[in-house]
Parts: sequence; structure tokens; C-alpha cells
Amino acid sequence: MPARLEISLKEHLVDPEGEGIRKKAKAYFGIDAERIRTVSILTIDALLSADQLQAVRHEIFTNPVTQDSSYRPLPIDADWVIWVGYRPGVRDNPGATAVEAIEDLLRTRLGAGEAVYTSRRYAVSGSALSRGQAETIAGELLANDIIQQWRVYARGEWDPVDGIGIVIPKVRLDRPAAVTPVPIGSDASVRRTSAERNLALNPNDIPVIRAYFSDPRVRESRAAHGLSDPTDVELEYISQARSDHCNHNTFRGLFRYRDLADNRSEIVDNLFKTCIEAPTLELAQRKPWVVSVLWDNAGAGRLDDDTYYVITGETHNSPSNMEAYGGAITGIVGVYRDPLGTGKGSKLVMGGWGFCVGLRDYCGPLKPRLHPRRLLDGVIEGVRDGGNKSGIPTAFGQVLFHPGYMGKCLVFVTAVGIMPARIQGLPAEKKRTRPGDLVVMCGGRVGKDGIHGVTASSEVFSEHTPAGHVQIGDPYTQKKMHDFLLEARDEGLIQFITDNGGGGLSSSVGESARFSNGAEVDLARVPLKYDGLDPWEIWVSESQERMTVAIRPADADRFMALSRRHAVESTVIGRYTDSGKLHLTHAGKACAWVDMDFLESGFPQWDFDAEWIPPAQRGLNEPVLRAPSDLNRLLTDLLQRPNICSTEWITRQYDHEVQGTSVIKPLVGAERDVNSDAAVVRPVLDSRRGLAFAQALLPSYSAIDAYAMAACTIDEAVRRVLSVGGDLEHIGGVDNFCWPSIQHHPEDNPDGKFKAAQLVRACWALRDMCLGYGVPLLSGKDSMYVDGHLAGRYGETHKVSAPETLQFAAVSVIADIGRCISMDGKAPGDLVYVIGLTRNELGGSEYYAHLGYTGLNVPQVKPAEFIAAYRALARAVDSGWVASAHGVYRGGLGVHLALVAMAGNLGIRADLGKVPAAGVDRNDTLLFSESAGRFIVTVDPARRTEFDDVFRKLPCACIGELTSEMVLELGGLDGRPALSAAVSVLKAAWKKPFGDLV
Amino acid sequence: MTNVKVLVPTGYGLNCDHETAYAFTRAGASAQRVHINALIDGDARLEDYHILVFIGGFGWGDDHGAGVIQAVKMRTSLGERLVEFVSAGKLVLGICNGFQALVNLGLLPGFDGDYHSRSVALVGNACGNFRNQWVHLTIDPQSPCVFTRGIRRADFPVRHGEGRLYAQEAVIRRLGLNHQIVLRYALPDGSPAAGRFPHNPNGSVEDIAGICDPTGRVFGLMPHPEAFNDWSNHPDWTRERERSRRSGRPFQAGETVGVRVLRNAVDFIRSA
Repeated sequence: MPARLEISLKEHLVDPEGEGIRKKAKAYFGIDAERIRTVSILTIDALLSADQLQAVRHEIFTNPVTQDSSYRPLPIDADWVIWVGYRPGVRDNPGATAVEAIEDLLRTRLGAGEAVYTSRRYAVSGSALSRGQAETIAGELLANDIIQQWRVYARGEWDPVDGIGIVIPKVRLDRPAAVTPVPIGSDASVRRTSAERNLALNPNDIPVIRAYFSDPRVRESRAAHGLSDPTDVELEYISQARSDHCNHNTFRGLFRYRDLADNRSEIVDNLFKTCIEAPTLELAQRKPWVVSVLWDNAGAGRLDDDTYYVITGETHNSPSNMEAYGGAITGIVGVYRDPLGTGKGSKLVMGGWGFCVGLRDYCGPLKPRLHPRRLLDGVIEGVRDGGNKSGIPTAFGQVLFHPGYMGKCLVFVTAVGIMPARIQGLPAEKKRTRPGDLVVMCGGRVGKDGIHGVTASSEVFSEHTPAGHVQIGDPYTQKKMHDFLLEARDEGLIQFITDNGGGGLSSSVGESARFSNGAEVDLARVPLKYDGLDPWEIWVSESQERMTVAIRPADADRFMALSRRHAVESTVIGRYTDSGKLHLTHAGKACAWVDMDFLESGFPQWDFDAEWIPPAQRGLNEPVLRAPSDLNRLLTDLLQRPNICSTEWITRQYDHEVQGTSVIKPLVGAERDVNSDAAVVRPVLDSRRGLAFAQALLPSYSAIDAYAMAACTIDEAVRRVLSVGGDLEHIGGVDNFCWPSIQHHPEDNPDGKFKAAQLVRACWALRDMCLGYGVPLLSGKDSMYVDGHLAGRYGETHKVSAPETLQFAAVSVIADIGRCISMDGKAPGDLVYVIGLTRNELGGSEYYAHLGYTGLNVPQVKPAEFIAAYRALARAVDSGWVASAHGVYRGGLGVHLALVAMAGNLGIRADLGKVPAAGVDRNDTLLFSESAGRFIVTVDPARRTEFDDVFRKLPCACIGELTSEMVLELGGLDGRPALSAAVSVLKAAWKKPFGDLV
Repeated sequence: MTNVKVLVPTGYGLNCDHETAYAFTRAGASAQRVHINALIDGDARLEDYHILVFIGGFGWGDDHGAGVIQAVKMRTSLGERLVEFVSAGKLVLGICNGFQALVNLGLLPGFDGDYHSRSVALVGNACGNFRNQWVHLTIDPQSPCVFTRGIRRADFPVRHGEGRLYAQEAVIRRLGLNHQIVLRYALPDGSPAAGRFPHNPNGSVEDIAGICDPTGRVFGLMPHPEAFNDWSNHPDWTRERERSRRSGRPFQAGETVGVRVLRNAVDFIRSA
């Protein structure tokens, strides 16, 4: 008989969770609840005695100081009761740890099928609340129907004896596992099967697949294993491997690029090879610190002779767009498996985030699945729990608001790890599988998770249908696995390691088997979350928190013992071979027999038409604006723009200091509340080496030219790491492209050719900047199709495409962290310098956007011209002559002078006439142009001579000084005062928009 | 000189193990990270160590209350050996998640030698969220706590979602009378935070950030001394360095107050 335990804070204690919900209900929906109390519910579906139930209640689940609990509903007065529980098959992390705790306390094991399910009950007081309002709180704040079920009870409907009853969201799939052969009679029939089964096979691939499975030699070889037509396991495998996600067909595609300015055409064959691989290989030749690029789960660079760092970045957009919390936590926990699966395994040392969402206060007619505000809340919390519970500092990030992200949000997650240069005397970055090695799956179990998001979402929900297509990451299980695998690595037990992400086992085993040239796996040995999965589902399931490891048979006992020590599940599921075949069986019967080299042979390249219409030809021009007279108010208003203002509330939720390595924090300054240009950590505690890390995003420039967007983004990332003391000779990059669909379709995607041209141009910029600044691409990913169809006012739908977006992350090694600098002005009397030329480049600026314009003059990046000043800055920093350094980014000089003053709790008195500039004749242009290549630096007057000397003949000038008066006081080009604003007022404005959020 | 051995139990999602061991090493001890299951299996013995540290960070995901399941695990597996460890004159330190485990175990507050009763709790922050920030702390000079001897002020980071100390008034009064309230959140000038957010980051009653048992040998605190293991951890260090440069004195890159707290413990064992 299942038991239901209710736990609540004692009546007289404040319930911060309930209070938080009450405030949100008021702020988001204007709903006035008087009080909301939360109740945790554990439904224990296990055969426990009455004594055992009382023991677990008292010893584990009830704090006698603060909590009341009962196996009957707690008598908490409420006008409305809302109950929220998970749907079947959704990862219930607290449910799983409850089982562990019960088993520990009772020194027993729960039986097969026994489990604990957690849910929550909310007692809402407010006699004036309507059912509609209670439903709004339930459906718009507390629960998401993709993963959760809920009920709302009015006072009269609530049964004080039975409460919510006994709800057991257990998965039941009452059917035997089956392998289905798929006839390949014609292209049309395979296309039909592909559509029915949601295989998403590319029509151009189908003839290749049919030719292979019709080949008499192939058929003969298959017949020996009892196979004829391809099985569903095999087609699913091919579909996964050929997907754009796994195979990067777009970036490896052929582009017919035409420039409509001069009608010149050119063929761009393979953006990956020409713009990513080629420059990176060229730079790797020149830069001995590049250790491993372009093949593993993350790229590796040298921290010092004994240690390498690894870095990669990912996005998790579509799932986050559906279920923000689940998508984001799965995203960050998932990207952390990439370094863990790099080389023979790397320890995670830092994470980064980038969120792109619609405007938080959107109140227009479009109806996204989740309002941007709710979506952002969920994404923030997902990364919070995923990062904090992984014990990895979340050291840097940014949020960006743009209406284009209403169609689909972007969630970028970046991961940095370290590994020893050698493990048991062998190079740690190298790995391979050998015939005879065992295939081991470690970590979580396999369920119907992440299998064809689309298939699952079109299924009808029943009481016991697993809602697996949106997952909830489990950082706890993964942290245990992380600690275990690093110990196994250090003992030399790991021959090969990779993670199970997209494509699940099909991808991890498929890729690792290439080294040995074959593998055989018994899918029946894969541990499952519940019975009833078909072999193809086991093979492609994307259930999280799993790694695939190759170990030698001789190491198996030790590996398994260590796994048990760490309470991690590891299972031998097969062995690597050199048969040239991928051989899968289930219950003794073959279900796949495919040549290892099949996927590399003869599949057609994707191709695209790309048409570039230059911005002027598209009708863009500079707005006709006469100079504003109230620069004070203009600056104050710009500081409150969502993409400029303080977002401290997010940063504070993220543990950025765990591991004890923090050197430069994400928030710095006298009051520790202004964003740092970059974060610095000291990943090896007993070393003085630092890793600087920053990211940049400038998608608004894509409205003019994606080349400029990409170039400016990369330049900003480079300047960010230089500003904290990074080494220009050692900067590695990570490119994450998120692009709307580029395949032209006359009705569905009429501007596809233009978006394709934008992609080509962004890749060209990537190539040019990387070569120009000497930044090899250590890692990168692409996520296409960031479009959404949103319902409007009249039942029509609108396609909303995200702006073409590149997030660029830069990492740099700092030889001695003692040389790091922060961006806050330090002392009154210090000289304020501006480095780099300000031009009339307001095109995509916040200033124009504030006034409702997109201009034409988008900032241009000129690495050959800029780099001399970057070198000079690095020299000045290394020599200790720089008291603070800060790049000039979004918002321009006005905004960033204000930030330097705000961070230092000081004023600045400066003369705009002294700012190095070219072709600028107005104060507003000087203040708000977003020209690339610039820094604001403050210098002790005693160091003036040395500093000036380094910058001789470079665009760099002292424009004024820091003052103790706490006023930003700028003289204009005409010699008259242009702006005079109290720094405290500016700071209050900058903090205001999100100041109420915690 | 005694080789002071520090036990840092790890596993089950706990973090802060590396930096805690490292900070103790800087404090002159020999610190070992040992999986909790190694202690249970007997591969490592609690009794072989002088100092036991319950470390920070999300054991068992902090589901069902921070430090709750860790306390259950320790009680069921080590039980009375923990109390014997304390009775033998050894030291127990609980940081953040470890502090939560200590109060759930009943090792704190330890009134009248009762190391089993739970009378203090650490509950959800009043601000309603997890929070990472540095705090200013003042130390009761009359506290028996051996970890804070000779220290009056300290800055450490807090990183928690459940750090608001709560107990019945009589318990709080008794903690105060016994000088068991070792650490309090303060304003930058050292005056009491008096509940003011964010100086008191979690709404803790009486600004309490850390308490000890009546012997001063069991100490639990929400802030993280091990995260101030190097001068470069302090949020003001770049500002301090500039001040030093201007005044012509070398930048003081000496022992941090975080390491000093741990050195006090090491010195206590050596002198015992």
C-alpha cells in the first residue's frame, strides 16, 4: 500500500518559496494572493511497515525544529489548493535521492518497480481569488504541462482526509520489445516510412541507403546474421548520424554565393573546412600551445607543461523553449560531459552562459509557448541548479533581449576543464579503442528520453505515457560519475571516453568504434529505467548523465570496484572489434550489421543558394538626427536599456567561487556590483597560472551585415580577455552559431537565400578575425533553424526568426595571476585614457535602437590596424602601469565611462575633444558610437611617462582624470560642458530595471 | 612536530573537497580526500585523523533539505564514533553544506555534551534564492571556538540557498550566553548587520553566520573560509594592490584569514 507523506514548514515560520510565488503572481499577473504555503509530498510506492514509515518520516524527511509532517494531509487553511506533480517518465531527482536515503536508513533495498515520487501542494489564501486566477498561478507559474500534471481544488472541493489521493506517475509500457525490418522497395516507400517514424531522413540520402542495403554482397553478409532489409535500429542509427546536429551538413554544404551589388558569384564549398578548419590548422602550426583541436569533444590548449585546459560550447535551444528549466539544466549538465569526455577525461573547472530571449515585459499580441519572462526565469533557474549542484563555478555570462528570440530562445552553455598532460606516462589528450576493449556505459539509465522530440510531442498523453522528450538534467548523478571517472582515469583504466549526448549510444559507440574499426553491443544489457523499450529506442535514446568508456578486460574488475565505491552504475554492454562492422544484438538476435565506413561513403552534400544584398541596397541608411541637447538624460536612459542595465540578480544566483579558484569575479568594483570584462580563475590551486574567459554577443548588427556582427563579436571577446590581463599570443576561441533556416522556400522561407549569404559572410568574418588576431578555434557548434511560428491576435500564426547570432567565447592563459586587472577606476587623480579610434559607427548602436532606428554605419573591425594597440596594452599591463582596463562595448564610450566611474565609486572629469577619433564632429556620436577596438584605461599619474611611451604613435590619448566628486563631467567638442551627471544617479538608473529581482 | 591529519570525506555530490584539502595543506596539515564509502567499508578509519571536515556543496543534491541525507548517512554508518571523535579532544569543522549536516546530526549546538539532539536549523534564505556574495564577519572574542582564536574580523564568500539560522528563542539565548555564536554578519565597518540585506545575506536570526559547541572544538559556519585560500580570492585584491603601489609598499600577499582559521585548528592539535 503506497503511503503519502506531506511535509511543511511550521506555521509560524516564513515560507520563502511560497512568498516568492505570491510576489510573482502579483508582479506578473496582478493576482493578489494573501498567503501561499508550500507542502512537499513524497508518495512512497514501496512495501514498508508502519514502523519503517515512521522511521523515515522522523529520521529523514522531517526537521523537528522547523517542519511538521504527516501521512495524512496537513491541515493548512486555504481558499485554493494547487497540486503539481511530474508526468510519468520525467526525471524526479528528489524522488531518486529519497530512495537512496530510505535504503540507507532501513539498510534494505527497494524492490523492482518500487519508487518514491515527489510532488508539491500549494495552499493559497485569498478569498477574492477566482478559479481562473488559481488556474493561472498553476499553469503559468507553477507547472508546465509538458512535464507536469496539476490539479486545482476550491475550498469546498478539498478533501481533508484524502487530500490529493495517491498519484503514482509510473511508466507502464505493456508490450514486448520488437525489431522491425523496413522494406526498401522504392524511394517513395522509404520516404513514407521516414515520415511515419519521424526519422527525418534527407530525401537525397535515401537512394544511397537503398543502394547499400540492396547490394548483393551486403545482403549476403547480412543473411548470415539472419538480416535482410534494414531494421528500424539501423535506419534510426543512420538517421541520427546523418542529422545536421551530428553531421553538420549545413556547415559542410555547398553555397552558391551571389553578391547583388556587383552580381559576382562564387562557389563556397564547405564553410567548416574553409573558415574553421583551415585557419585553425594554420594557427596550430604557429602556436605550440595548441594541443588538440577539431576532433574531440572539446579542444585543448596548454596551461603549462603539466596541465592542459579544454573548452567547448553548446546550445540547448529547442528544449529550453518548450520547458525552460528542464531544457537549461539539461543543457548545462550536458555540456559539462564534453570536457569529461575529452582526452582520457578532464575535470570541470568553469562554466559560462548566454541567454537570448524576447523582451521581458513583452505585452504584444503574439503568444509564445512560454512568455519571455517566464522562460527567462526558468532558464536562469535551470543553469543555477545545473551549475551549482555540479560544483563547477559559473563564472561568466550574459543575457540578451531581442524580439526575434520570441520565436525560439537561445541558451548557450560553455564548459572549461583541465587535464594533466600525462596520465601514467602517456599523453592524456590521446585516446583510442582497440579490438578486445570492453564497451562500458556509466552513469544514468536509459528511458524514452529525448527520442525524436517531434515524435513524442505528437503523442497523446495518457496517465502512464512517459513524457520523455523534454528532460530534466540530474547534476547529482553526473557529479558522482565525474568524480569516479577522474579517479579511474588517474589509475590509467580509461582507454577511450566520450559522452552520450545527441544520438545516445548510436553516436558514442558509433564514433568510438571507428578507432578499432568495429564493435558488437548487446542492447539487452543496457540498464533501463523501465521495461518495454524497443532496441532502436535503447540505441538512440538521449537519456542524460551517461558516458561510454572503453576499458581493457584486465582492468574490468578494478574499474567496476571503483564504480561501486562511488555509487555509480557501470555496465559492460559489448566489446570493440576490428571486424569493420557495427554489430548489434538484442536477446541473442542480430538487429544491426552495418559497415563501419558506410556513413562516410557517398552521401550527397547539402547545397544552398546564397544571395547577398548589401545594406544600402536593402534601403538602410543613417537616420536624420540633429544633435540632442540633453545628453544627461539620454545617457541615463541608455543605462536603463535591458541590454545595458545591471543583471546582478542572475549572477548572484550562480556559484562562481566553488573550487576556490576565483581571481577576477563576474562582478567587481568598490561595491562589487559592476560587470567585469572577463572572469579569471586559477584552475590549478598550487600554480600561479590563470585562465581568463569571456563571451560576446552582438546579434543586432546582423540587421545590417552579419560579417560585421561576427567580426565585432570576436573583437569584443578578444578585448574582454585582454582587459583583465590576458595574453594576446594565447587566445583560443569557441564559436557558437545560431541561425534561422537558410534553405530557400518561396512561401515558408522567402528570405532563405539572404540568410544563407549572411551565414557565409559571418563565416568569412570568423576566418578573417581568427587569422587577424591569431585565435585558433578550439571548439564550436552550430544550431540551425532558430525560427518559431507564433499565434497572433486573430488565430493567424507568424513566423518569428531569431537574428543571425554568433556567440564567441575567448579563453586566454595568464602566466601570473598577480598581473590581472579589474575594470573599476581605482584612485582619484588617476589619468583616464581612451585607446583606439572612435568613428561614426552608430549603425547598429543602442543609441539608434533607443530612438527606433537601425542605421547603416555598422562598426568595422580592422585587426591589422587594431592589434598594435592591443600589444601595447598587454605590455603596459604586464609592466604594472595600468590601474584599470575596460573595453568599450555596447552603448559606446558614454556608457562605459559611466561604468568605470560607477565601479570605482569615483567621478570622471574628461574632455571629449581629446578622444582619439576619425570623422566625428558631434558629441553624441563620440559618446555612443560603438566602434570596435577601443579601451578605457586608468593610469597612476606617476606612470604617465612610461605609459605614454608604450603608446607612442598609436591612437591613444589621456582624456581626463578620475575625481573624488562622484560626478561624470564631460566637456564637449566645442569646449563647452556637454554632460554632467552624478555617478550615484547614473548607477541607480543602471540598476533600476531589474533591481527588484533576486 | 605532529603530523596533523585532516579527513575530508567526499562523494555523493559533495564539492569543495579539493580546495578544502588544499587550504588545510597551506595551513600546514596533511589533508586527505576520502570517499564516504571508504570510511563505511573500513578502507579508511576516522580514528586515524585529528580533524574531520564536513565540506560544502550539494550532497545528495540537497534534496529533502540541505545536509539532511548526509547526516542520515553519517549517523547510520559512523554513529557514535563521531561523538567519540569529539570526546577524544579532536576537531570537527562543518562548512556550508557541512554546517547543515552538523546541525542535522545534532553535533551542534551540543549543549551539555548532548551531541544527538537537533535544536538548530538552517532554512531557506529569506531572499528566496541561492546567493553568492562576500560577507563581512565579526567574531566573538570570548567564544571558546579554537578555529577563530586571535581573529576579530574576516571576509568570506557565502554560496548557499539555505543559510538562515533558525532556533527557538531559548536556544538562541543560550547560544549567546555560552558565546557559542562565533560569527556574525556585519556591515563593512564591523557594526552589526542587524538583519540588513545583503550584508546579512539570508535573514539569519541575530546575524548568526557560524556557531560552535561549548568545547569550541566543533565549529560550523555558512561562509567558506577555504574559498579564501589565496589573496587573489578576495574581491578587493586588485584595489588593495593599487593602494600598495601608490604607497610604495609591497603588495601584502601573505596568509589569508581563511587559511588562518584552519591554521588555528592545526596549531590546536599540535599543542594538545
